Amino acid sequence: MIFSRSIPKKYVLLDIEALQPIPAMSIPENASGMAVLVRLKSRPVDFWMEPLPKDKPFTSRELIGWINRKSSISLLKARIRDELTPPVKCTRLPSLTVAICTRDRPRQLARCLKSLLRIERAAFGVPVSSSILVVDNAPSTKVTQALVESVPGVDYTMEPRPGLDFSRNRALKEAQGDLLAFIDDDVVVDGGWLEGLMAAWIEYPDAAAFTGQVLPYELATAAQVLFEQRGGFRRGFDTICYGQTLPGHPEYPLNAGVFGTGANMAFQRHILNQLNGFDEALDTGPPLPAGGDHDIFYRLIREGHQIVYKPAFLVFHDHRRERKALIQQYWSWGLGVMALADKWRHKNPTERPRIRYLVRAWFGLRFSELIFAVLRRKPFPFYMILTEMAGGMVGIMGEYRRSIKRIHRVRKQFP
Amino acid sequence: MSSFNPLKILHIDLSRELPSIHPVPDIAGLFVVFWWQNIPLGHSWVPLSELPMSPVNITERALTAITPAVESYLMGGFIEVSTSTDSFSGFAGDIKTLTEMGKPLSLLEERIALSFKASKAPSVSVIVCTRDRPAQLARCLGSLQNLSHKPDEICVVDNASRSDETCTVTAGFGDVHYVYEPKPGLNVARNKGIRQSSGDIIAFVDDDVTVHGDWLDAIQGAFVDLGVMAVTGLALPAELKTQAQYLFETHWGFGRGYQDKVFGRQFFERFRSRGVPVLEIGAGANMAFRRRVFDDVGLFDERLDVGAAGCSGDSEMWYRILARGGICHYVPTAVVYHYHRPEMEAFHRQLFYYMRGHVTALLIQFERHRHWGNLRRMLLSLPVYYAGLMIHGLLYGFSGRKSTLKSEILGCLSGVKFYLNQKQREKCN
Repeated sequence: MIFSRSIPKKYVLLDIEALQPIPAMSIPENASGMAVLVRLKSRPVDFWMEPLPKDKPFTSRELIGWINRKSSISLLKARIRDELTPPVKCTRLPSLTVAICTRDRPRQLARCLKSLLRIERAAFGVPVSSSILVVDNAPSTKVTQALVESVPGVDYTMEPRPGLDFSRNRALKEAQGDLLAFIDDDVVVDGGWLEGLMAAWIEYPDAAAFTGQVLPYELATAAQVLFEQRGGFRRGFDTICYGQTLPGHPEYPLNAGVFGTGANMAFQRHILNQLNGFDEALDTGPPLPAGGDHDIFYRLIREGHQIVYKPAFLVFHDHRRERKALIQQYWSWGLGVMALADKWRHKNPTERPRIRYLVRAWFGLRFSELIFAVLRRKPFPFYMILTEMAGGMVGIMGEYRRSIKRIHRVRKQFP
Repeated sequence: MSSFNPLKILHIDLSRELPSIHPVPDIAGLFVVFWWQNIPLGHSWVPLSELPMSPVNITERALTAITPAVESYLMGGFIEVSTSTDSFSGFAGDIKTLTEMGKPLSLLEERIALSFKASKAPSVSVIVCTRDRPAQLARCLGSLQNLSHKPDEICVVDNASRSDETCTVTAGFGDVHYVYEPKPGLNVARNKGIRQSSGDIIAFVDDDVTVHGDWLDAIQGAFVDLGVMAVTGLALPAELKTQAQYLFETHWGFGRGYQDKVFGRQFFERFRSRGVPVLEIGAGANMAFRRRVFDDVGLFDERLDVGAAGCSGDSEMWYRILARGGICHYVPTAVVYHYHRPEMEAFHRQLFYYMRGHVTALLIQFERHRHWGNLRRMLLSLPVYYAGLMIHGLLYGFSGRKSTLKSEILGCLSGVKFYLNQKQREKCN
């Protein structure tokens, strides 16, 4: 019974500008739902997913009804925000290096670069001096290098030690910009990406890091739809400045997922240098392919810095298409969260009560999700939650220390 | 409990340039109320750890706090409250109207200014009932002098004060009318006030409030609709200096939100079988009635409110109005500032009387109208609610909301006893 439930096949993605008439739509036959990004003056204000009515053609009229019902508050909020925010005045913007860490994924990388090169290198009428740096991590072929060299205006560097955080630290070493942005190779940046980042910087010039919204690039398979339905990488449409406390979250800042994700983040380069960059024992690829982004966010907050989340700083992420890959991702998320809890428990004994709270709350939340999944109140398969919990168990039982030993070996191998 | 840091109340007018908020020593945080000129739109609790706040921070905070209220004004006009949970979702208008709306807040100002202007008509008497609180009374009367629109009459009903200071204070305010009522009881005093005043509209404020300059305009504006029999308004905290005041504001409070709400037939019928939550309509500290409604439904029940059962004299009156098909209108632009009791003991006592009054009112409402929902609320909803809080308290400790459970439950029981005693006495007479 549990296995035979109907699982959504495919969702149509719509990108709607509220100020323009809604275009006539053609919904593919096999689509079981739609995901709508609503924008106002090209800035994103709302995103929602809704199953399509069965046995009945869907018209733009109905779509307008849905937008009215679901997005009116968000649109109004955006309007009020515009009214309350004085026009941006700036004369100088920081220089920017965009780093893309990649390994043997030329197709995704080419798409990502294309989207980056398309956006105008200016924000609010002020030019932004920027460079793009591709860090090729322990490549098995020369394809990536050849690709990058064929695109003018993109720098190439190679990091032989396998591991995402080795690559990120390489980027930190080579970058020249005041700001250093990291995007994953499997994202496509939105046209307003740069302006979103610069708006965040103008509002909070002293913040150490900026994170942005991550929406789906496509929802073509059941795995992608499931991932997005569970929340995906979305973090809402309000600008949030994270400081030293977060009301209602006693475990803060250990719940570092609130800050955003490594698929789309930017840092003040000098602050990142002060912290000696990323922890190379995290994000190593299997068996510990996660945690580097959360770790750096946590350390920044603990050093007294601020992190700003800006929804207009937007990318579209190409989620894993296969169910197996999705299960693996949840495994590594559970693993990563708990490996970090384990790391901080040893590095920072004063945090222990808070870590105990985090561990209890995390497993408690997973457990209640599990109950809901088994009772079929939520469409999410229970075995994915079980996988995430199992990952968490392995993570808390010394995965971080095992990873340290592994990277010692890697460092010896590449002196 | 001894080391409670006070909260500072800050009013921010979003139509002006936003300030930066800097930390202040020895406070626990801020209670920030957001306004657009004279329209209150929302509030936000800011812990000290989030200070300093830049104008950008304040804007983001304000947006979350004010958007629902702005929507209620612009999209729905008035909300006819039919449920308390899904009070509003989505707007009735079209996405086009919304997106064409360049500056929603300025638009809001125009719409509300219109309703203010429309209000020329009926005469107003303001009645302040008081007992032995000359200092508070002086503060209240002082604020009434600063109204942008003067009432036709201000009347102080001195409810069996032991000293003559009330009289002296009132005399200091020239044209304020002084009435003495020897029989103690807030509802007795209110009824005296109704009989002794002459306005078409009778507005009551408690002696422990101060009023906003545009308070009366908002009240009068609401009475332009001839179906409206009662108007209530927003009561914001005037100070949050002690734990008792903080607990009162967070868990009880007089705040009924920033959305304009109309309570009518729909609201009444929906809840009739479960007990109509008339307390949601407003607070007796800030309410007004059309005089002729008292001819229709009678005066305040003298068994209720301070000096008798405890409170709920106000809500029982709204119940009668709704049962007769009248409309009660909650107008958030009619603002008063209430000074909550600062002492913990007084706070416990107050809650005891709250629940006592509430239960008595349920019995009286049942007696008058034979609506079984009132009994259901008393015998089912309230016991279940308190059992839940008890269990929570046993598991997690009796702090915060649960620190006053004993007073409340004893109050409920006492309410039943009070009602039965009154019945007994009536029979003997």
